Formats: sequence, C-alpha cells, structure tokens
Amino acid sequence: MTGQPNDNAACIEANFLDNALVMIAVLEKEGKIVSWNHAAEAITGYSYDEVVGKTTVWKQLYPDKDYRDSVTAKIASILSTKNYFENLETIIRTRSGDSRIILWNTKKITNMGLPRTISVGLDVTEQRRADQFRESVIDNANILIAVLDKGKVIVWNKAAETITGYSRDDVIGKRDIWKWLYPDAEYRNTVTRQIMDILTKNLFFENLETTIVTKSGEKKIIAWNTRQIANGKAQQDIAIGRDITERKRAEEALLSYMTEMAMRLKGPIEIIRNNLQDVAALVRNGKLELDDMAIVLDSQVRNANQIAQNVIEFQRAVTEKNKDIPEAYRKFLEGE
Amino acid sequence: MTVIVNPDALAQKQIFLILASPGNIRERNIQIIKELSALGYHSAVITTNFPYSILKKLYEQSGVDLTKVSFVDAVTRNSIGSVENVPGVVRYINNPANLTDMGIAVTEMLKEHQGQKVCILYDSISTMLIYLSSPNISKFIHFVTNKLRLMDISGVFLAVEKGLDPMLMTQLTTFVDSVVDTG
Repeated sequence: MTGQPNDNAACIEANFLDNALVMIAVLEKEGKIVSWNHAAEAITGYSYDEVVGKTTVWKQLYPDKDYRDSVTAKIASILSTKNYFENLETIIRTRSGDSRIILWNTKKITNMGLPRTISVGLDVTEQRRADQFRESVIDNANILIAVLDKGKVIVWNKAAETITGYSRDDVIGKRDIWKWLYPDAEYRNTVTRQIMDILTKNLFFENLETTIVTKSGEKKIIAWNTRQIANGKAQQDIAIGRDITERKRAEEALLSYMTEMAMRLKGPIEIIRNNLQDVAALVRNGKLELDDMAIVLDSQVRNANQIAQNVIEFQRAVTEKNKDIPEAYRKFLEGE
Repeated sequence: MTVIVNPDALAQKQIFLILASPGNIRERNIQIIKELSALGYHSAVITTNFPYSILKKLYEQSGVDLTKVSFVDAVTRNSIGSVENVPGVVRYINNPANLTDMGIAVTEMLKEHQGQKVCILYDSISTMLIYLSSPNISKFIHFVTNKLRLMDISGVFLAVEKGLDPMLMTQLTTFVDSVVDTG
C-alpha cells in the first residue's frame, strides 16, 4: 500500500494489512481516497492510480443514485452518534459490473494533525451466497427443520410453518412451541421422558415418532431426527421432523385390508372345504338326494364366486389406498 | 360330552358366541340344537351355510325333534330360485347379504313362536364374511343382539375359531354375554 508522504503513519498502519484479503482505504475528510490497498484493487477492479486523490470511486462503486444516497444516509446516521461504524453491509458494483457484498468497519485516526478514516471492507459475497443457499435449502426443504438454542427456537423453516400451522413469528425466540405441539401434559411428559432416555445414551435420536397437534387442532404423526451442532461456542440442536401421517394412515389401512382379506378368505374357504367334505360323506352313506346335493354344490360355487369377487375388490382397494405401489404390481392387483 | 351352552346363563336370556374349528362347526350346531331342545327351547336356526333340506336330515339323524326347530334359510332360494315358505317351519330369503329380508324373516319367525322359550342359533358368522364386510357384520350382529335383548330372547352365534380378526372379535365380544371356544 502506498500513501502520500504526510500520511506515513496511516500508511504504515495500513501496510500491515496490505497483503490482507480485505479492502483497506484511507480517506480524507469528504471521502477523498488517500490510500487503496491491493485487495481493494482486486475486489473493485479500480487501481490505486485511478482512485487516490479523488472521491469519484464511490460513485463508481455505488452507481445507482438512490442506493448511494441510502448508503450515505445510513453512514451519516451512524456517524451522528459515534465516530466509527461496524459491520455495515453494502453492495458495490465492481469495474467489471459484478456485485459484491462488502462488510465495512471504520476507524478514525489523526495523522500529523489531519483527520483520517481507515475503512476496512471484508468481501462477504461468497459467504452470503452460501448463507442464502443454505437458508434457501433449509427453507424449501420438504421437512420440518427447527434449530434450537438452549430450547429457544432460532430457525423455523417453511415446512415447519406448513406442517404445524405456527408461523416463524409465533415461535422464533420462544420456547413455547413444544407445549403448543403437545398440549396434553401427560403425553408431553411421556415424549420428554422418551427423549431424555434416548439422549442419555446418545446425543441424538432417529425416527422418534410422536403425534403433534397443529395450530388448527389437527393431529399429525412426525418422525423426528435430531443432531447437536456446534456454532462457535454455542451448542445448538437441530430437529428435523418428517410428516408421516399419510404414510401411517396408508400402512394402517393396508394392515386393515390385509387382515380383513385374510379373514374373509381363510374362514370361508375352510367352510367350503368342510361343506364339500360333508356332502361327499353324506353321498357315500346314501343320505343325500341328488336335488339336495345340487343345492349344496350350487351354494358352494356361489360362495367361491363371491370370494373371488371379494379378492378383486380388495386388490382395487389396496392399490387405491397405496399410490406408491410399483406399476407392475399395481397392474397385477388391478387385474390388468 | 361337555355342555356347550350353560343352562343357567340361557335361562337368564344371555347371548353366546360359540367358536368351533371348521371341521367341528356342523357337529357343534347339532349339539347346541339338541341341548336347546332338551332344555325345552324352541330353536330358531338362521342358516347361511347348509340348506334347510339337508340340515333337517342331519337333525333327524341326530334325534332332534324337528317340531322344536324352525329355520330361516338363506341358501336354497339362491340356488334353485322360487321356493315357498312353510309357516312355522321354514322361511327362505334370497341372499345371505340381504340383511333387511333376514331381519324381517327372523322377526316374523319369532312372532310365530311368541310365548314359547325361544333361542336363536345363527350359523354362521364365518359364512356371512363371504357376503359382507366385517363392519357390516358387526352392525348387523349389534342390531340382532339389541333386538334379542329387547324381546328377552337368548341367542347363539356360531363362528369358526381363529377366523375372526381381532377388531371384529373385540366388537362381537362386547355384543354378547359370553364367548365359548369349543375347539
């Protein structure tokens, strides 16, 4: 970093950071650039020679007048109460037309009786994009995601809002959500005990199924997975909940169909078998006339037809209830 | 031979669910009719399994007094079409699934034997499962047991053991006074 001769002290201070990956600009009063480091050149695309001694770079970095005015107003507002600012985030336009997000920190110094401002700009563009991507993934995930800091909700994604009916505004910064989701104290205690039991053995749990009550009073079955995550010094918990209500209902319906089918096949077929055995025995003993035998055989044929019809109905019912059945099995069950 | 239907419970107009293995269910039917006859009951048999004509012969062979038995037959008319009712002896219905006709036939049969000690024998819930879903059977049995209690009449429902799913079994158990597994 190079500075004017009378700004040696500021330049020396700035030189320590010359190779840093942060923008460093030393400004005179009214924003005229006194010093401009390599990182500033690399990030903005404007060279030292182009910017030093001028204020024009600010218009170049903030070409949109409205946005520039808003940044200026924000800076003025901060400087009206203190003589520096911290972590002021702005978006600059580089020489090549790219947008970069810069996190600004300033410090006022006096050099040889002259007031100077050292502005340090950290390019957080990639970090912000990663944050946005992560937030977007979390927000658009089709599963409930909640991050808890000592039980206080700090992340509550869209799926969490959809599944529970409770909005971010309802839950962020609060611990009450679990009381709302488990309004029955006894059940809540049971779930808490279950969780504590698991957590004493592991620091997480997987596929713990609980029944929540949504804001509208609907009951939903959620399969929970948790992990502890370290965020700096803080230990936070991430809770991921999958709404398995429909799957559970489908499983129960399937079980119910299968049981009904078994019951309506096994018993009746045994009865048909025994009826035919009885008829055979009666015929052998000469105790059954032809007409009687015909009636029994007719009725058993009718029973068998009805059982076959029942099976077809069951097949249809099963496929209707279970949309995930593979196509080949579906066709078979539907009798195609 | 062990008594299937407890006479004291029968006297108290109780309702029974009798379970039997598929191979024994016919024998249990006959044994119950003999027990009921011996206790002076008129048996009203609702058959969805064997036709009246054959049951009559089987009962005769077993020494049952047929004057003490009348029938609602849900089998014969379905096979041979038109067949006339014989008042006091047999009423035919077209189809085991026609619960309305079955209810009417049972009510009329019970009227014919008003003032007598009557017990209904329903043979069998398992055969009904061919024609009706378990929820419909459950509703029907509930209706029939309520009717029997209102009319102060005892009843016996026959079913194949291990042939009823736990849900239906639980429901039927709540409708009857006792369940007897005869094997």
